[in-house]
Amino acid sequence: MARKDYQEKLADLRGDVLYMSELVIERLRQGLDALERKDERLARDVIEGDHEINQLYLDLEQDCIDLLALQQPVAGDLRFIASAFKIITDLERIGDLATNLAGYAEDAEQDRYPDVDVQSLGDEVIEMVETAMDAFADEDVEACREIATHDDEIDAMCEDASQTVVRDLIEREFGPDVPQAEIEELMQDVSRLLLTIRDLERVGDHAVNIAARTLYMVESDDELIY
Amino acid sequence: MTDTAPLDDTTTGSPAEGAGDRLIETDVTTTDREMAPADSVIETRDLAVYYGEEQALAPTTMAIPEHRVTAIIGPSGCGKSTFLRCINRMNDLIDGCSVDGELDFRGKNVYDEDVDPVALRRKIGMVFQKPNPFPKSIRENVAYGLRVQGKDDGDVDATVESALRRAALWDEVKDQLDSSGLDLSGGQQQRLCIARAIAPDPEVILMDEPASALDPVATSKVEDLITELAEDYTVVVVTHNMQQAARISDRTAVFLTGGELVEYDDTQRIFQNPEDQRVEDYITGKFG
Repeated sequence: MARKDYQEKLADLRGDVLYMSELVIERLRQGLDALERKDERLARDVIEGDHEINQLYLDLEQDCIDLLALQQPVAGDLRFIASAFKIITDLERIGDLATNLAGYAEDAEQDRYPDVDVQSLGDEVIEMVETAMDAFADEDVEACREIATHDDEIDAMCEDASQTVVRDLIEREFGPDVPQAEIEELMQDVSRLLLTIRDLERVGDHAVNIAARTLYMVESDDELIY
Repeated sequence: MTDTAPLDDTTTGSPAEGAGDRLIETDVTTTDREMAPADSVIETRDLAVYYGEEQALAPTTMAIPEHRVTAIIGPSGCGKSTFLRCINRMNDLIDGCSVDGELDFRGKNVYDEDVDPVALRRKIGMVFQKPNPFPKSIRENVAYGLRVQGKDDGDVDATVESALRRAALWDEVKDQLDSSGLDLSGGQQQRLCIARAIAPDPEVILMDEPASALDPVATSKVEDLITELAEDYTVVVVTHNMQQAARISDRTAVFLTGGELVEYDDTQRIFQNPEDQRVEDYITGKFG
């Protein structure tokens, strides 16, 4: 095969993007675990570990720039590098969202709203990211389209969860006997819960972005890019 | 702008003369071209070329749009230069070369018996890989085509200046028009050759690897020039440099081994999402 070094660099980039996704998914899972168990140590590991993801992102970004500048890729190679360039940004953002989840863990009081199942929601979006990266690895365009469809369900679940919390807040009656400190604590818990739901919904959006770029990479189809 | 001289007449007769076998429709005006800039100016139908018994170009059908840059790419020996040379019948000069099929220039088959190849080459100029200025002054290099055609009775200096300006060379040589063309740098020599090609006011300019012998700075100037020339001329350029084709052309034709035209499409499409796997493999370097 011609341009052996170039082909090896493309293969390396593909492998590195998949490695980055494994790291990010692991951090996301740890962030959720920290939230569930209120595990401060695990939360700290996730937050401090974000530096590793950021550095990996910068390294892979540079690899993409080098390939574009030095190899002048075209056609399928160009679409792969352009997609990888975008996908690593989505992965880096998912890493940031994992640190957000870990950050909520310290003071989390999720039990106020047992109907809001953050862990199930988290499992759903983690599976979405895994499926998106599998689609990237296998160049599976059907899976890409299914992820986009599934995201509508995730959005609906997040909307329901948020409404549950807000509705309770509206219906709750704070009499004059309720101490101000208790109200403030409740508001902080509610804020954290709503932010958690929002962050998980955003993870789903990033999974869709990954699927969209994968579809473009494989078929030059920008159907899912918006 | 281009005139509409017939090609069945080696004189410079008026457009009204030699009617019946014109390659150029007399009612095609500049305004018409500006209104429909992407109309085909050259069309081939099953054009095939043989050197003796050997087929150098498989039957090829394609249309080259007016006032656009069309790039022809492919590995060595794929027939791209052979195709280019068919357009102004330069292959006539090669022993043993025979051509089948049809190549129409403005609707007239240039291989019809009544077509004068010399007149054809006035309408379809050519620039070669290696700059080949004549051992004459810069002025005479550019004026050469006019003198050969007996068109040197008018304001030759004005035509020379115009051609040098269009070739982006005027500012660099205006004070040395009587110096030898051979004293110029390689890049300047190539632009001088382009000025020489456009001085007789052709409609089409064929370029065979026009920048392959030039350094990067000179290459950039020639590439810029090619893009500018497409405003007034139809440009067909053969290049080994795929990035150059991507940079300068509107349409790209990919010939592969066996002289086969494998894919011909908008350049953006060819370099982002080619249809044919062989083209994908070739342009990404997995083949050839």
